[in-house]
Amino acid sequence: MKSYSWSWLGLLLLVSACDDGRTPLVLYSPHGRDLLVLLESEYERRHPSVDVRWLDMGSQEVYDRVRSEAANPQADVWFGGPDTIFGQGAADGLLEAYRPSWGGSVPSGSRDSDDLYFGLYRAVPLLIYNSDAVDADEAPHDWDDLLDPRWQGQIAIRDPLASGIMRTVFGKVLADSVLATGDEAAGFEWLLRLDAQTKGYAANPALLFERIVRQEALVSIWELTDMLFQRQRGAPFGYHFPSSGSPVIDDSIGLVANAKHPEAAKAFIDWVGSEDALLLAAEKAFRLPARTDLARESLPGWAIEALDQIVVAEVDWTLIADRGTEWMARWDREVRGRGE
Amino acid sequence: MMSPSRAQKWLGIGLAAVLAWLVGYPLLITLAEALGLPAALDLGAFEEFARRPDEWLALWQSLWISVASVLLAAVIGVPLGFLFARNEFPGRRLLGSLVILPVALPPLVGVIAFLFLYGESGLLTRSVQLVLGLTSAPWRLDGPGAILLVHAYSMYVFFYLFTRAALARFDASVLEAAASLGAGRRRTMTRVTLPLLMPALVGAALLTFMTALGSFSAPYLFGGGFRVMPTQIVVSKLNGQLAMARVETVMLAGVAFFGLWLVRRLDSGGQTTAGGVRGVAPGRRRLQSPGARVAAAVAGWALALFLLLPHMTLILISFVPPVSWTTEFFPPVLNGDNYRTLLAETERLRPVFNSLWMALVATAVALGLGGLAARLTLVLKGRLGRSLELLLAIPWAIPGTVFAVALAMTFSVRAAWMGRFVLVGTVWILPLAYIVRSLPLTGRSALAGLRQFDTRLEEAAASLGAGWSYTWRRVILPLLKPALAAGASLAFITTLGDFVTSVVLYTYDTRPVSVEILSSLRLQDTGVAAVYGVFLMVVSATIFLLWGRQEDV
Repeated sequence: MKSYSWSWLGLLLLVSACDDGRTPLVLYSPHGRDLLVLLESEYERRHPSVDVRWLDMGSQEVYDRVRSEAANPQADVWFGGPDTIFGQGAADGLLEAYRPSWGGSVPSGSRDSDDLYFGLYRAVPLLIYNSDAVDADEAPHDWDDLLDPRWQGQIAIRDPLASGIMRTVFGKVLADSVLATGDEAAGFEWLLRLDAQTKGYAANPALLFERIVRQEALVSIWELTDMLFQRQRGAPFGYHFPSSGSPVIDDSIGLVANAKHPEAAKAFIDWVGSEDALLLAAEKAFRLPARTDLARESLPGWAIEALDQIVVAEVDWTLIADRGTEWMARWDREVRGRGE
Repeated sequence: MMSPSRAQKWLGIGLAAVLAWLVGYPLLITLAEALGLPAALDLGAFEEFARRPDEWLALWQSLWISVASVLLAAVIGVPLGFLFARNEFPGRRLLGSLVILPVALPPLVGVIAFLFLYGESGLLTRSVQLVLGLTSAPWRLDGPGAILLVHAYSMYVFFYLFTRAALARFDASVLEAAASLGAGRRRTMTRVTLPLLMPALVGAALLTFMTALGSFSAPYLFGGGFRVMPTQIVVSKLNGQLAMARVETVMLAGVAFFGLWLVRRLDSGGQTTAGGVRGVAPGRRRLQSPGARVAAAVAGWALALFLLLPHMTLILISFVPPVSWTTEFFPPVLNGDNYRTLLAETERLRPVFNSLWMALVATAVALGLGGLAARLTLVLKGRLGRSLELLLAIPWAIPGTVFAVALAMTFSVRAAWMGRFVLVGTVWILPLAYIVRSLPLTGRSALAGLRQFDTRLEEAAASLGAGWSYTWRRVILPLLKPALAAGASLAFITTLGDFVTSVVLYTYDTRPVSVEILSSLRLQDTGVAAVYGVFLMVVSATIFLLWGRQEDV
């Protein structure tokens, strides 16, 4: 019996250590299965000698991991997350400059001036509601609508500390406050009122969506791509693009410094931003391309519709990048659960 | 008592050195880095910590939640242990195994099963609401109450197991002696039984305290504004405030060491070998009156049902297709879609293999090392023995998050002359961490077993001409088997489902099931997460039921 279990173990070890001779290419990404599987199979079909391996994690976790592995980088490509987080990574020396073939087609505001990272997709924060329980007209149309007494205790929010989307939305509120009044007091005041309206913070998107689908809460803040996926799966979600403007996020990509497979990584980055790959991601995985040179009519219907409706907010991104960490720490201390 | 041989002494020194390098050293490095060393002594981060009332609050809440968890777990687990070890009633054997199952509830998704059961729109909550005709949920599952519910539920098992194992090794003649000397049941309990159980109870208390102190899933999912130290560390780390994360790590380790010190003081009187193991364990009392037997059986089954509700909920969720269960009381559609999704891609089964082989290797190595260390601890005595024992206990005394962060910090630097190598990002760091984390479980149970073991037996074997290996095989191991089995099954299951250590140290090649569960939840795949959870649960339950059966024979 004992010797059996040992030989099993040996076999398992052998299998897990097995290498099929392909060049491994490791992606750390918050993009999720749907897109990653799609890109993996398409890329491997085109490049049979490459084995695309991805690890899915939150955008803030990608940063944390890349940083703690700096002495022995495991990732080749840092694939996805708001450019503010990439900015942090660039400041910590975690990225290597590489200008992909499509780099020039990205507007200069959506890429790093030192070529450390480039905007690839655009993530659009928006207001969501349970469409079984709330009429589209009634549902919040703008950020301030969330503070309406009607939504008292009906709002669930994804825990903002771990979420790039929520950090960006809260960052916009505070940056707007600095722009309008000179400091962030008014912004924190607004966030306190939102906290008072909020029923609870969900530890992850699954729990956020469960809460809304099960009508424990009716309204939330989330992002376009996930909403389109959820609706495709039949979930009762509706959404509105905030009328005063949405802090549209440049979801970026970059080459990890001292990556083990830099050439494979560069080739992948070149491909993933190509017109083919962008259109594939738009069609199959609801990703809005960051490049502005793609013909409008080549995009799928949902994207054209979204581009017509989105109001892009003017946001001081530098300020969010500089102060974001401090702001979120302060929010965690002084706002979470404190709203009356 | 035999005196240690030269070889044993060197073995002890070698083992102590390896343990110190893997356990003590990373903590020292973390402390040094929190102090800003080696660049320059910088207390800035500590001052910042000291200034922040929320940090102190988190520390205090960690402490009292852990103490309360120990008390609750003991109150449930110890009487249950006695009930099942000392009484005979219908269904005892099966029930005795079933009550261990809370420990088989996987991390994260197991806690989510609680949510689907007792949460605002949970099955049980909605039932109560329906029965009482309430317009809103009768309770809310959040804050310290919810955390304590989950802790008490999952951690009483430590007390139950340790109590049962100790009672199984108990010598009936001691009780008979007490009775013949005129001691009543109460007096026998307080003066004989409990003192003899002390090593086991202290072991269980230590395990529970440390597990509660390092617990992440429950505070993470239910805490909301209720902060505890492990969640604070993760938040600081995610937010990029490394210095603060280090200080928080050090402070949490400080609390843990305080707990360890306290327990060791309690334990110092626990060197009980009185009575030896000549006799047999006391027989089980058969409940005589038919009424009492029926009552015991009904109560037992009601308890088992209550304990198994989260498991059943988890299984139920695993059959609910995505977004099909909305406001209905019971899921309207049940099918195997989630299972099919998982089985359709071999790549998604990789984490299952990874977790299995790592848990297997870690348990086997930890069993060998832990047994050896426990034995050396007792043989060597003196300073070396004491430091071995301490080193053996430390991995549990440091919460998983602390241990993983310390390990990651220490072994991400290339400085061989300082004993630091780059292990982060390699396949080895996670199994290594699992081994070290399992050592206290296997070591501690071996130690408890050996302490109750009468060394005269060994001397007798030696004087009868038995060699070293023969004595081990035929005398020591058979007598230690219950204790070792308890330690090994706990080690295997905690490793198999480990989340807090894994999430810091995993790589592409070693990503375990728990990390896959986290990722499924991030991608709104509650059903798939539940399937992974069911897998962990089934493996753990099988191991425990097998062990429980063996225990009974």
